[in-house]
Amino acid sequence: MPVVELAQVTKAYESKVAVDHLSLSIEAGQMFGLLGPNGAGKTSSIRMMMGITLPDTGSITLFGKPFERASLKRVGYLPEERGLYKKMKVIEQLIFFGELHGLHAAEARSRATDWARRLDIDESLHKKTEELSKGMQQKIQFIGSLLHDPALIIMDEPFSGLDPVNAKLLEQTLLTLKDQGKAIVFSTHRMDQVEKLCDSICLIDRGQAVLAGKVREIKSRYERNHVIVEFEGSDAFLQSAEVAEAKNFSGHAEIRLKPHGNAQKLLREASAGATIYRFELVEPSLEEIFIQTVGGKVDA
Amino acid sequence: MRNMLLIARREYLEQVRGRAFKTTTVGLPAIFALIVGVGYLSSLGLGANRQVAVASNDPLLAGQIRQKLAGDKDARARVIVAAPASPQDRALLLNKVKDGTLDGLLWVDTATGKLPAATYTSQSAGDFITAARVKSALNHAILDERLIGGGMQQGSADALVDGTSVATYQVKMDGSLLKTNAEASFWKGYVMAILLSMTTIIYGMNVARSIIQEKTSRIFEVMLAIASPSDMLAGKLIGVGAVGLTQIAIWLVAAAAILVSPFAGAILTGELAVHITWTEAILFPVYFVLGYLLYSSLFAGLAATCETEQELQMYTPLAAAPTWLSFAVILLVINDSNSFWSVAASFFPPTAPVIMFLRMAAEIPPAWQFAVSISLLIVSIWAVLWFSTRLYRIGILMYGKRATLPELLRWLRYS
Repeated sequence: MPVVELAQVTKAYESKVAVDHLSLSIEAGQMFGLLGPNGAGKTSSIRMMMGITLPDTGSITLFGKPFERASLKRVGYLPEERGLYKKMKVIEQLIFFGELHGLHAAEARSRATDWARRLDIDESLHKKTEELSKGMQQKIQFIGSLLHDPALIIMDEPFSGLDPVNAKLLEQTLLTLKDQGKAIVFSTHRMDQVEKLCDSICLIDRGQAVLAGKVREIKSRYERNHVIVEFEGSDAFLQSAEVAEAKNFSGHAEIRLKPHGNAQKLLREASAGATIYRFELVEPSLEEIFIQTVGGKVDA
Repeated sequence: MRNMLLIARREYLEQVRGRAFKTTTVGLPAIFALIVGVGYLSSLGLGANRQVAVASNDPLLAGQIRQKLAGDKDARARVIVAAPASPQDRALLLNKVKDGTLDGLLWVDTATGKLPAATYTSQSAGDFITAARVKSALNHAILDERLIGGGMQQGSADALVDGTSVATYQVKMDGSLLKTNAEASFWKGYVMAILLSMTTIIYGMNVARSIIQEKTSRIFEVMLAIASPSDMLAGKLIGVGAVGLTQIAIWLVAAAAILVSPFAGAILTGELAVHITWTEAILFPVYFVLGYLLYSSLFAGLAATCETEQELQMYTPLAAAPTWLSFAVILLVINDSNSFWSVAASFFPPTAPVIMFLRMAAEIPPAWQFAVSISLLIVSIWAVLWFSTRLYRIGILMYGKRATLPELLRWLRYS
């Protein structure tokens, strides 16, 4: 049974169609990436999953039932437009969020303290929110959305504004939650994170799903026409007739072959003028697929 | 329901712990007392210690005027009499007024068989208190002179001129009589109406400000994932309203403590005695809550459509206009609390809380009028809440631009 399912969902604001007949389904224990350029309809889709806005047509089910507010008790949500009560102490704020999700104050306090220790902010628990940095506040928001141990976690751009160390900490935490069987949906522009974390994705453009499925399957649909070469010597092979596009980063080259380009021929040309340390034929990265798909240039 | 109460508790604790609450709880009554005190103290010396000249061709009348002015203890006037006085004397005295040696000159010209013609000249056109005292002294002196001229004894004439006092009583519902003082009743109603309107507007504004702050801090979307918009709005209204009731309770307890003190007992007796009935004591919080709910719902809807506090401040005076309208009809209501317009204004929901208290100061209205007034208030609160909740649930997610009227109408239709 899918944890969340959208079936032919459409939402329009006056003349602009934000989401256009979107369907997707997320299972328990799955990490799902919602991708798309700015204004594609990601936040609109997420807001409908949370019942913040209602779809014009189509249906949304949570935990196998048509959407109802009571289901939100099992959902943890971190919106893109997030804020905190600035004058409240961090611990009081977290207890408040926990109580709103149905926890007793003592239980909420205990869980908040545990989470604060895990995310290394336990020293800030008794400070007012306004005294903390933006990154610290983001961790508190993250904890606030997870305190009640939700079965479904929805996060809109969760990594934006985080430094690499905290982004890594968040990634690790999400992976742990996924291993515990939680269904996780997040939107992002960071393709490297999607590639590392997500099992499945849905790429939205102008409100429509233009690419969806398991990451492995999607990537396997594309021809292995990308080559990574690490070399020392002449880079003349980058001008080869087999090459459609090449980027050279001082001995590390990323090459896209022409359709039906011959990789073996290119290897021979490269080794004629340079010492080759690595020559790897790879699938296109998700970032390339994203750019090509949204740009309408992909040849899947 | 649970979430609504949790939101109300958070709102209440945040405001009660805040510096603004502590400052206004102590500061507002202090400022109010300061204004009243300064006004009272400065009024004590108004028109007092003036040096006035009375000039007339009738020495007897001039003497009588002098006697009347000197007898006014509040005036503490020094009176110079020039009688019989010639036009040259008048010119001389006018020069003294001009150079400030005298504060004023009363020139009384009498002619047989006619009422005297009088002029009062002073440097200050605004010293109406001295002018009124001089006029009163002149009229009393003329009356005295005529009565004595008609054969009446001096004592009888003085008693007649001073007049007799009328004790006022109010018949209560149980038929008993209550000694009242119209002036004290007026001030009691006035103070209660000010307290009611001030707290209603202040706490209504607090709701609006709180919404704008939450909108600015972007907390709304986090909250919407946990609580429904109606729980959020209701929790906010209850929380802030409870803060208002707490503050009023603190003021009333402090006022009661002061009123039972020997100091207040010495002041608030006799003419200034203030009687607060049980009806007033019970209905004050009722009308506060209803008035607060009406205005705060209105302000909440307004705040949801605004982007900044500055923008909100531009519109709130308009929303609070009915309260000021209540004060514009204050004399009409106090003078005739049962007139058509007084009753209508106490039924009209935006003015009902203040007007009903002004009416109660004069006379307790019949129970059915309270029932109508409270019922209409409840219905209008429901109606305003209906609109405000719809504006609120969409407005709180709108960032970046102020909603236009057509957009607001669409919000109402969408919700």
